[in-house]
Amino acid sequence: MKKLSPGRIVLGSIGFAIGIIGVLSLREATLSTHQAVASRGTEIVVSARTHGGERGQTLGEMVEAQLLTCRLEVTSDFGGSIEPEQVGEGRFRARLVPGLDETNRRQFRGCVEDFMIDHLQIDVVEMTQIT
Amino acid sequence: MKVIAWLAGLGTLLAGAIYMVVSLNRWEWNRALFFGLIVLIAEVGLATGLVLRRVAKLEYSLKLSAEERAIRGILRETRPPSPDRFAWLQESARGLNVFITFLVGGGVLISGVAWIVDRVASRTSSPAGEERLSRQLGSISYPSGGLLLDDITVLAQEVPGANDDQIRQLLRRGGRR
Repeated sequence: MKKLSPGRIVLGSIGFAIGIIGVLSLREATLSTHQAVASRGTEIVVSARTHGGERGQTLGEMVEAQLLTCRLEVTSDFGGSIEPEQVGEGRFRARLVPGLDETNRRQFRGCVEDFMIDHLQIDVVEMTQIT
Repeated sequence: MKVIAWLAGLGTLLAGAIYMVVSLNRWEWNRALFFGLIVLIAEVGLATGLVLRRVAKLEYSLKLSAEERAIRGILRETRPPSPDRFAWLQESARGLNVFITFLVGGGVLISGVAWIVDRVASRTSSPAGEERLSRQLGSISYPSGGLLLDDITVLAQEVPGANDDQIRQLLRRGGRR
């Protein structure tokens, strides 16, 4: 068996430590830790665009479908009209009640910006707490 | 071409892995899955390339017949050793083969000494020394009137009995008789 030199041991230890720290950091970043939130709701503004989508579907329908899907991942629901309100060219506004905590905000943003529906890309422009 | 392919594979692997971690951190599971798939494809491609390269080497060595292997062994054994270009450095300094080295080194040393002597000599001239030298050279300097002959001296040569060889030589050089 090849003898390990001190340099190799140090390098191996550093690599091992980096690996452990990376995995723990990723675990911490993806762990759901919910807290009570004082805000009445969370308002979200998204920018959406589609490319090569089906003819019969509008951008609003696709955005609504994705937001409704992502709503299932958090503990809040859409307040008022379920259909997101169109506020500009390709922009939509929606309100979730009660307000989202930190983990839910990250989770909801990740879901909305993820590849959920074909030919649709949504970016979260703004996410504010309503007190 | 192979290097480009290997670099493209490695780059894809690294970029895919980075984006996968970033997507996980952002809770974008589908993106993370997609980039994970890219990483997997790149990894499989690179591993296949490595295995194929090793197999090609083995195949090459196995392709040789016993006779060819024997010939190759003989060729290896009888291969002349690579010449040691600096063997002469290990030999005694009394040998003639270091002559060139000493010659070049000696030339450098002598040039250095000559440069030092030149620098020292340039410092030896002083105003007092120059004045003394000018006095010493005064006795052999040209006459103050120059080497041109005046008319009186020329006419004096016409006098019967005057015979100065030096003046006649100067007259000949000047085109006059």
